[in-house]
Formats: sequence, structure tokens, C-alpha cells
Amino acid sequence: MRMAFMRSLLAAEAVLMSLGFTQATAFAQRGFLEGTPKPPTPIPTGPTPRMPDGKPNFSGVWNSPDFGSLGGPLPLQPWAQKLADERKKSGEIDDPEGKCLPGGVPRISPYPMKMVQTPDLIVMLFEGNVHSYRQFFLDGRGHDKNLDPSFMGDSVAHWEGDTLVVDTVNFNDRTWLSSGSAAPHTDKLHVVERYRRPDLGHIQVDITLEDPGALTKPHTFKRMHTLDTAWEIHEYVCNDLVLDLTRK
Amino acid sequence: MSTKTKIGSLIAGVVMLAAPARPTFAHHAFAAEFDLNKPFTVTGMISKVAWQNPHVYVYVDAKDESGKMVTYALECNSVNTLVHKGWTRDALKKGDQVTVSAYGAKDPRPLSDGSIHANARSIKFADGHTVSAGSSADEPAQKQ
Repeated sequence: MRMAFMRSLLAAEAVLMSLGFTQATAFAQRGFLEGTPKPPTPIPTGPTPRMPDGKPNFSGVWNSPDFGSLGGPLPLQPWAQKLADERKKSGEIDDPEGKCLPGGVPRISPYPMKMVQTPDLIVMLFEGNVHSYRQFFLDGRGHDKNLDPSFMGDSVAHWEGDTLVVDTVNFNDRTWLSSGSAAPHTDKLHVVERYRRPDLGHIQVDITLEDPGALTKPHTFKRMHTLDTAWEIHEYVCNDLVLDLTRK
Repeated sequence: MSTKTKIGSLIAGVVMLAAPARPTFAHHAFAAEFDLNKPFTVTGMISKVAWQNPHVYVYVDAKDESGKMVTYALECNSVNTLVHKGWTRDALKKGDQVTVSAYGAKDPRPLSDGSIHANARSIKFADGHTVSAGSSADEPAQKQ
């Protein structure tokens, strides 16, 4: 079906190209015009894929359409609110992610993310804004007490039925919780994510942030990822901008 | 060497020629470089397309406000983001006449290579069709 559709598209393009519509069709055949907010590829439908042991399989390349959202205003402590306001007022020019440092958790970028799953380990690979990864250990280990605090934290995971529960601690305090909030956090940040794959095309995550150093109470929000079978992650080296921005 | 590799080497060569020996600024938040309050449009001819991460650059030769010919270095989104939006590597070519909607740089002075830096929002072709350049300022990320 898909092949037949692609063949008819190619045939249509060939006709149009012969009429001189090369550029227009190069874009139009993908359904892309200015302001189109959604990915051009449809989200696949079907049942939840499963591992041989019956657990949901989260493998795939995922889009994060609401990547900027934390589900509403954060319950920030006064100092944290003040700092977030100052950052926004200055146009977020000090955003560490803008300087090619890892975005941290729960922040996520508009670039594709790939999940690779084995029975004992799930890996998230981020194309950008900075090449980075997260490892969800499923072998029953606890948090590593000897790790130094890090941008992406230390994650361990377990199953509760079909829900993957990821517990992450040991963050440094150098990331912002999202670009829109410009919100700081401390090294007391504790993130619990509950991942479900209710069908082939979607991941639903319930995310709870606790940080007695920066939040007045825990904050929970939802995030959705959509499967994109037409996407693959690319090499993306954030600090390799081949342009000298120095002025004359 | 395959044709594709040759083209890749050629493009890499052009990019290397255009690159400074040591980039002094790696990357940036939008507001660190560009100004949302300086939207403008420019009509001219594409002189170069640098198909590269972290930002694709389209160079357009056009007249500035004073009528002088200048080169605009127009920052677009990443390769993968643009491909996802429907761009292809050869969709924009040297010599194409385009009208670009862009945000100007906070610092209007030319870059060290003489070009004027700006952040592209959309590119309109002579036949009237328009494509988005995926400006991060226009993405729905700036909400809580």
C-alpha cells in the first residue's frame, strides 16, 4: 500500500518535473509548507510492540512534540523564581544548552531521540542539542554512590506491570529544567518518570520532579513521544558551528 | 570515489574554505545572537548553501537598505530538522532567486568574512512557494 502510494507520488513528481515544477514538488510532495506545525510522516498505528519476555518494547526513533512544556508553571521557591525571571529578562543568553552543554533532565530538545532496549538495559540516545545519552539499568542495581554529580544524572529502572519506572538522582545544578521556564534546580533534584507505550505510535510519560532546594512541592506533568519511522538520528556536533561570529 | 562522495568532498571543501581556523563562538541561544524585534525580508540570489550541522546556512547576495550589495549569512535549523520538514539537500541551489524572511542580529556589524548574520524564518521562491527555515524563535518551545 505504502509502496504503491510512493510509486504514484514519484510518477506524479516525474510529470510535474517535466513541466518545470522541480522545486515546488520537492517540498510539496512531502506536504510541507510554511507554518506546517506537524511532522510530515503519519504516526504509525498498531498494538504495543513487546519483548520476548512480554514487556513493552520502547525501541524506536521518537519525536517530542511538546518538548518545551513542563505542564504549567513550576512551584518555584522565591530565589529560584527570581533567578528564572532574571534569565528570561536577559533573553536566556546564559542558557547552558545554548553553549552546547547537555540539557539535563527533564529538559528535552526538538531533535529526534532514539531508544534501544535490551532485557537489562534501555538506552536513550539524543541527537541534539548536544549529543548525549541516558542509561536505564533494569538489572536490579541501586544508584551508584561513587558517581560524581552529572548533567543527565544516574538512572535505575524497574517494571510495574507494563509501566517502566525510572528513578534518577545525582544531578549537578548546571542545567535549566526547560528553556521556557529558565528554571534552576539544585543537586537535590530527584526525577521519577513512568513510561508507558499504550500503542505502537506513542509513549506516555508521567514525570514527577522533587527538589527541596528549588521547588516548594513536587511537580508532576505529562509528556508524549510519537514514533517516527521516517526519522533516524544524525551526527550533530553542537559546538562545530563553522562560522566565525566575531564582528569585523 | 562515488559521485555522492565527490559532491560531499566538494561541499566539505567549500565549507572548509569558508571556515575560520578557530571558531571563536561555538553555538548560541537565539537571543544571544538574534533580535526578535528586528524582523526583515531580503530579496536576492543564493550564492552558497552550506548543508551542515548544527545549522544549515544559506548565503544570499542582495542589496542592503542603502542599496549596497552585501551577502547575508542566513542561519537555518539543523540538517535533520529541515529534512524532517521536507527540505532536500539540493532543494536550494546557487543562483536561485529567493525572498527570505529573517530576524536580524543584535549586532548589525558584518561578520569577519564580511557577511551579515541573520536567522532565517522562511524562504520564498520565484514561483511563489515558501518553505520554513525552522527558526527556533518560531518553534513552540518557548512555553512552560
